[in-house]
Amino acid sequence: MTQPVLQHICQVIYDSQIGTTIRESDYAFSIIESVHVLAITLLVGSISILDLRMLGLILREIPVTRVSRAVFPITWAGFAVMVTSGLLLFWAEAAKNYLNPAFRVKLLLLLLVGLNPLIFHTSIYRRVAEWELQHRSPWRARAAAIASLTLWSGIIVAGRAIAYF
Amino acid sequence: MLAAQHWFELLSQSPLGLYMQTSRWAFAVVEMVHLLAIAALGGSVLLIDLRLLGVILKGESAKSIGRDLGRILLGSLVVLIFSGIGLLSEESMKCYFSPAFRWKMALLASSIVFYFTLHRRALNRAGTASPGIRQRAIAVVSMLLWLGVGVAGRAIGLI
Repeated sequence: MTQPVLQHICQVIYDSQIGTTIRESDYAFSIIESVHVLAITLLVGSISILDLRMLGLILREIPVTRVSRAVFPITWAGFAVMVTSGLLLFWAEAAKNYLNPAFRVKLLLLLLVGLNPLIFHTSIYRRVAEWELQHRSPWRARAAAIASLTLWSGIIVAGRAIAYF
Repeated sequence: MLAAQHWFELLSQSPLGLYMQTSRWAFAVVEMVHLLAIAALGGSVLLIDLRLLGVILKGESAKSIGRDLGRILLGSLVVLIFSGIGLLSEESMKCYFSPAFRWKMALLASSIVFYFTLHRRALNRAGTASPGIRQRAIAVVSMLLWLGVGVAGRAIGLI
């Protein structure tokens, strides 16, 4: 039987020693999953505060760059742990994830949520010095904030849904 | 104790409980809402407490940070309690007998009391100078209490 290459790769990952160990251990998967959720809380909880600041809903008196400098280390730390724990979870379930619609949606949303800061930082954020004191940021920054809040929420929902398919 | 058990039985037999137990997707959807609110609450707790610790936004008023982020904290707490009641109604008898659930409720009550008393006072008093040991201790206790609520909550599903 011929399989798509990606599916074959997922099966090899799934059958590997590490993947099998995580899957068959009593607690490994649950513990990694808990760490994953905690990391997402750090990431999404911190970046959404910058998003809400740009929308003019909170911390209006504090310049945007001061808020971003305060949240970025937390966001990046959360991101690093999220990716590492996420890869371990995928290692254990790769062959199942490949066929899981919620997993596919989550990957797509992750791709989009990665594009958002790339566009943001190379466009409107370059001139942040001109608008960082405004209580409500320019519309392009607000659009990026809404995109970030929406996409991250979607990622949490899709991530949780993986277990239900 | 019988009185408490009685309330848990009532909840599981209420229309909400029956709906949550029979619906295919209700539990999953309410759980997702619960998770989204956890992210919002966790972020606000962390930033408030890092400010109290003097790690971030040192030059800014702790009181106004506490007020703004406190709105997010309390808003998400309300969502968490309502969605939590929904989740509880689906498996209330299991929760009643679960040590993890009892720990979670005890830690949650402690976190809320702590937030409105010692924590609130520390935020109001915090200046822009380097924080003292008392203020740092309050920030650390606050983070540990809320983290404990989360860890105990996760444990309900595992033990």
